[in-house]
Amino acid sequence: MTTRMTTMRWATAFGATMVLALAGCSGGDDGGSSSDDPIVVGISLPLTGDFSEPGKGVQRGYQAWAKIVNDKGGLLGRQVELKILDDQSNADRVVSDYEQLIGQDQVDIVVGPFSTRLVVPAARVAEEYGMLFVEPAGAAKEVFEQGFKNLFYAAPAVADDHYNHLAEYILGLPAGQRPATAAYAAMDDPFAQGTAYGLKKKLEEGGVRTVVDEVYPPNTTDFSGIAAKIASSKADIVVGGSQYQDGVNLIVALQQLDYQPKLAAFSTAPTSPEFAAAIGNKTEGILAPTGYTQKAPYPSNVEFVEKYTAQFGSPPEEDEANAYTTGQVVAAAVTAVGCAEQGECQQKLVDWVRNNTVETVVGPLSWDATGKPQGAHMIQQWVGGEIQIVLPADAKETDIVYPKPAW
Amino acid sequence: MSSGTLIFQSVVLGVLLGGLYALLASGLTLYFGIMRVVMIAHSAFLILAAYLAWWSHTRLGVDPLLSLVVTVPLFFGAGVLLQRLLLSRLRPATLTMMSVLLTFAIAVVIEGLLGYAFTGTQRRIQLGYGAANLELFGARIAVVKLIAFGLAAVALLTLYLLLKKTTFGWSLRATIQHRDAARLVGIDTDRVAGYGFGIGLATAAVGGTALALDTTIYPSLHWHWIGPLMAIIVVGGLGSVPGAAAAAMLLGLTQSLLQIPLNTTWAQTIFYLALFATLAFRPQGFFGGRLAQRF
Repeated sequence: MTTRMTTMRWATAFGATMVLALAGCSGGDDGGSSSDDPIVVGISLPLTGDFSEPGKGVQRGYQAWAKIVNDKGGLLGRQVELKILDDQSNADRVVSDYEQLIGQDQVDIVVGPFSTRLVVPAARVAEEYGMLFVEPAGAAKEVFEQGFKNLFYAAPAVADDHYNHLAEYILGLPAGQRPATAAYAAMDDPFAQGTAYGLKKKLEEGGVRTVVDEVYPPNTTDFSGIAAKIASSKADIVVGGSQYQDGVNLIVALQQLDYQPKLAAFSTAPTSPEFAAAIGNKTEGILAPTGYTQKAPYPSNVEFVEKYTAQFGSPPEEDEANAYTTGQVVAAAVTAVGCAEQGECQQKLVDWVRNNTVETVVGPLSWDATGKPQGAHMIQQWVGGEIQIVLPADAKETDIVYPKPAW
Repeated sequence: MSSGTLIFQSVVLGVLLGGLYALLASGLTLYFGIMRVVMIAHSAFLILAAYLAWWSHTRLGVDPLLSLVVTVPLFFGAGVLLQRLLLSRLRPATLTMMSVLLTFAIAVVIEGLLGYAFTGTQRRIQLGYGAANLELFGARIAVVKLIAFGLAAVALLTLYLLLKKTTFGWSLRATIQHRDAARLVGIDTDRVAGYGFGIGLATAAVGGTALALDTTIYPSLHWHWIGPLMAIIVVGGLGSVPGAAAAAMLLGLTQSLLQIPLNTTWAQTIFYLALFATLAFRPQGFFGGRLAQRF
């Protein structure tokens, strides 16, 4: 009974696929040649539910990209049209959304949704249909362990590589100045922990001894115990794999114990607009990796910030920039290959992205075979009361301050 | 560098933490004593008080401690109303169970309103003395933690004197010990219960302000607090304020010291281990709390 049901289901699925494939072929024949049709870009985003805040940011980024491209005459002479569905932050829904976009709505291009949790199921659908899948979120390493061949993450680096520029800088210091010991405290979260442990691995290989290695649960509110351990170890440098409130609380707890490291690096928290006020302006010398800053000197970024601000009234943040970067990668591939439709064209687009470097608002991007970006994050530091880019050398606004002044 | 200093530092931090726990848990145990009510919304009121302290500091520019002048009477009034208008209407037979549901709903409403009024952005009071510290035999004591501890000590001492030395305190304790007997000797137990509830909520105003001095606050923070606070009042003996204070001090100190050999995740589990041990071996609690024997 069960076997027969399964067979029937397979037969139906096969039949449906054949019909779709035929429909796809005929659609491609007359749709692709017409130069008046818009290029329809299909996206599913969490516009409601848990991820609605970042989801809307990503949506604004895509909208800004479409507008800027269209104002310049579109791609291949065709206007770009976005088709956005709301997945309600639900992983089951995201699958049916992409099935609908590709199968039923016959969009020409698909790009990724928001958050790692939703990127993986969405990428699986795109992969089945052989579609190019550039995505703006999903920095966790699991995304690149699924064997996807069409996926590309449109950001400078995955979590483990965020601190690469800083690791290079520290290990490049002359022997007398180089720190000997390091303390690490990371939230039990794949992203936050990834940043701290990426740096830890490189520094340990370079001979910097780990004296404290603490992992705390996301709901931790009291950091005095962790701070006491770090302060008592007198580690030369302290690295925090933090989100926001944990980073702030840990820094204050360390200051309360009068711990003065030579270098202090924390992910996420220091780049937040409320950070300085939250820790009472004792920010001097604190470092943070950043995937995007409005001040980055790349030419397309200057244009993006200006036009985005004109369109939405406030400058773009990281979510918006990641979506815009995704659009830039797709646009570069479409322009270079000269096509944008379902079918054979998609494989050409994938091959092009795989073998080329794309100039974006977050710098030049290139990818390895799993779609993992090959770059590193810029490093910012609080210098003179504001956060400024200090690494890498070609993007810096000011020189890195080491050892850091007392906080 | 020596681990002796680290241990001493951890003891100091543990005592400061324990004092804060004692203040935060005192109201919770009082509600249970007075009415057999499990007040899930207690920690939500703590966060509400913390937000009011933050708001009066950032918007009005007054020291967060001054906000107590307004929040303590306000919370007292809210407590009386809450008891008279809502909790006293629950049927006595199912009071404990239903109070969980009712106060759960209140907690969610408070969280929602905080999110609506102040957004989900994490806030922190910025004090000139936020990172100031004193040195004591090699250990560092943060001034804000000391202030929070002082607040806790004053509030708990006041509560103790109120319960032990005043006529109202006597009638409140009589109501806790035996409601029917108290009524027989002429105590208006309904009114006393209302005021008792108000006092419990007033401790939340003080506790929330103490909490706001040294932590980042956000609307859903209360869920992180209710578990440990519940564990404290069970270990201390439900309904016993001195018991809760002793348990809070002990658990705070143990948590702080356990962080040295273990990590933060495991050090936090001490609350739940203590809870299991108490329920398994001494359900009436380890400190005082004859009351809970009847359950």
